Amino acid sequence: MIGQILLLSGLLLFSILAVLAKDLIKSAISLALASLILGIIFFLMGAPYAGVFEISVVAGLITVLFMLTIALTKAGGDVRESKISTLVFPVFFILVGLIDIFVMKGLLPKLQILQSGAETGTFAEVLWKQRTFDLVGQLAVILAGVFAVLALFRKKDNHD
Amino acid sequence: MIFLYIGLPLLVAAILPLVGKISKRFLPDLLANGVFLTLFVLALTSGRRLIGSGPVLQHFRWMGEDTGIALAVDGLSLFMLMAIALITLCVGLYSINYMEHYGSKSVYYALLLMMMTGMNGLVLAADLFQVYLFLEVAAVASYALVAYGLEYEELEASFKYLMLSVVASAAILIAIAIIFGMTGGVGFAAVAEGLRALDSRAAVGFCSALFLFGFGLKAALVPFHAWLPDAHPSAPAPISAILSGLLIKVSGVYALTRIFFNVFGLTPALSEVLMWTGMVSIVVAAFLAVGQPDMKRMLAYSSISQVGYIVLGIGLGTPLGIAGGLFHLFNHAVAKGLLFLNSGAVQQATGTRELDQMGGLAKRMPLTAGTSLVGALSITGVPPLAGFWSKLLIIIALVQARQGTLAVLAVLASVVTLWYYLILQRKAFFGKLEERWKNVKEAPFWMSLATVILALISIGVGIFFAATIRSWIQPASDALSQGVQAALSIGGF
Repeated sequence: MIGQILLLSGLLLFSILAVLAKDLIKSAISLALASLILGIIFFLMGAPYAGVFEISVVAGLITVLFMLTIALTKAGGDVRESKISTLVFPVFFILVGLIDIFVMKGLLPKLQILQSGAETGTFAEVLWKQRTFDLVGQLAVILAGVFAVLALFRKKDNHD
Repeated sequence: MIFLYIGLPLLVAAILPLVGKISKRFLPDLLANGVFLTLFVLALTSGRRLIGSGPVLQHFRWMGEDTGIALAVDGLSLFMLMAIALITLCVGLYSINYMEHYGSKSVYYALLLMMMTGMNGLVLAADLFQVYLFLEVAAVASYALVAYGLEYEELEASFKYLMLSVVASAAILIAIAIIFGMTGGVGFAAVAEGLRALDSRAAVGFCSALFLFGFGLKAALVPFHAWLPDAHPSAPAPISAILSGLLIKVSGVYALTRIFFNVFGLTPALSEVLMWTGMVSIVVAAFLAVGQPDMKRMLAYSSISQVGYIVLGIGLGTPLGIAGGLFHLFNHAVAKGLLFLNSGAVQQATGTRELDQMGGLAKRMPLTAGTSLVGALSITGVPPLAGFWSKLLIIIALVQARQGTLAVLAVLASVVTLWYYLILQRKAFFGKLEERWKNVKEAPFWMSLATVILALISIGVGIFFAATIRSWIQPASDALSQGVQAALSIGGF
């Protein structure tokens, strides 16, 4: 129980830090730590595949991409954290914590849960046979992202 | 056949950047418009036959094997597919001339096709998670398209749009996660059945609130509208047309109503919330539009107001109200698409969007001025144009349902709409032609053709409104009116 509360508090702490930190590197590291904790929570809750993806893709790959981008674009010099974010952080943390405790505590007992439905089976079966259309959608999201990068980083020669 | 609506634009988008290496303009123009035309013709011809005996869940097979992809088609999804293909086709034709000055056309069309894939996928999905996924496909493409001009204003608008839109997406995803946790499924039928078995009103109410916030933000309903008046005017004109004409309706109104009607089932409380949200949007945005000096910004506020009419009609929940709302969805898509395309023609000819700097342009741009007038009068609700009939249906439905206050407010807001559209027409096209616009020329061929097609549709649908309602609107309205039963009947919807 204490372990769970610690993990959830850590998740909340690093998620809020990722939003409030002005220094992009600190922000990216906070996000990676939040993802790592989320990955551990997934493992503990019996969702190993979700945990593996969370840690490898979000905590790993995306953090590397963030770091690379920051390294390639940063003009240099330290970013000073503003006083507002130092002040806002504890308020924000306590507020989110309180909402979480009261709202979720009130809501959770009201959530009735049904047994898992038709979409059960091994991970491969679910991914390749039952959720094939999701793969098409994910392919489309990736393509849209690639075209967005091509569009936003193209040469602006002819635009008037 | 129906998988073509997702597969074809996706495939052509994937090869377009390569095609762009061979031909910078001609082949991208041809390929993209070919896809739009094919899908439009398909929707008109074979789509209706497909759902002749009711909604179908079509399984996509590849080399004799079932791929596990099942797409659900009913009257509403077919109607939306037709509207998407029609507006995208007109936008594609218009882009042949308009996008000449924006550099790479292949990437532009690739993004436009991806947006179409996203919208089509969303309309054909029979599963909450797929709705979210294709919502994101369309959204990612639209962020890039809003910023396509790469000027400061465009990038800022795109960033604001992105930030608000991801908050909306997060709310939608949280609601889907809660529903999945409760019912153990995300398919429309499984969720509808699961929720019926659980009878968990608190959780459904919480998820409804999250969906209302998420999809309401995507549809730019007041008070979630802050991003739209920046994002839509900043985008290139054809993109403004597709965002205002289609995207807010597909990723906002369609998704919201599909889930509320066919998955959750519309409750009286939800109906009341939808109607009043719609009414607040109608009134607030109409008054905000009146004082706008920027032509495209005025049109953007008008979109928020008109989406309010759509939500008001559909939210009422009676068959006539739903039919009126859906009919207005189509009429507004056509007329607002037309007006945004015309605003692009004016901006390209004069270099400004400020209404105070224009004047008398009808003498130099008669086609643009004439088609603009048709679009403006249709949206305002002047007979015999299409917009008149849809607004009339909504108001009759409100009166029938004893919602007199809402009916009166809807009529009064229509007068405000007429007021600001007359300001727009007078300032831009009528009056004395200013000296500096003496050399202004009418829009080029493809741009004019696209606007003329849309204007003719506004007039034609107005004249043949009974046939349009019978063949397109009624089947779409029936799909929503059946409520949760529609989802349970075929295991998809």
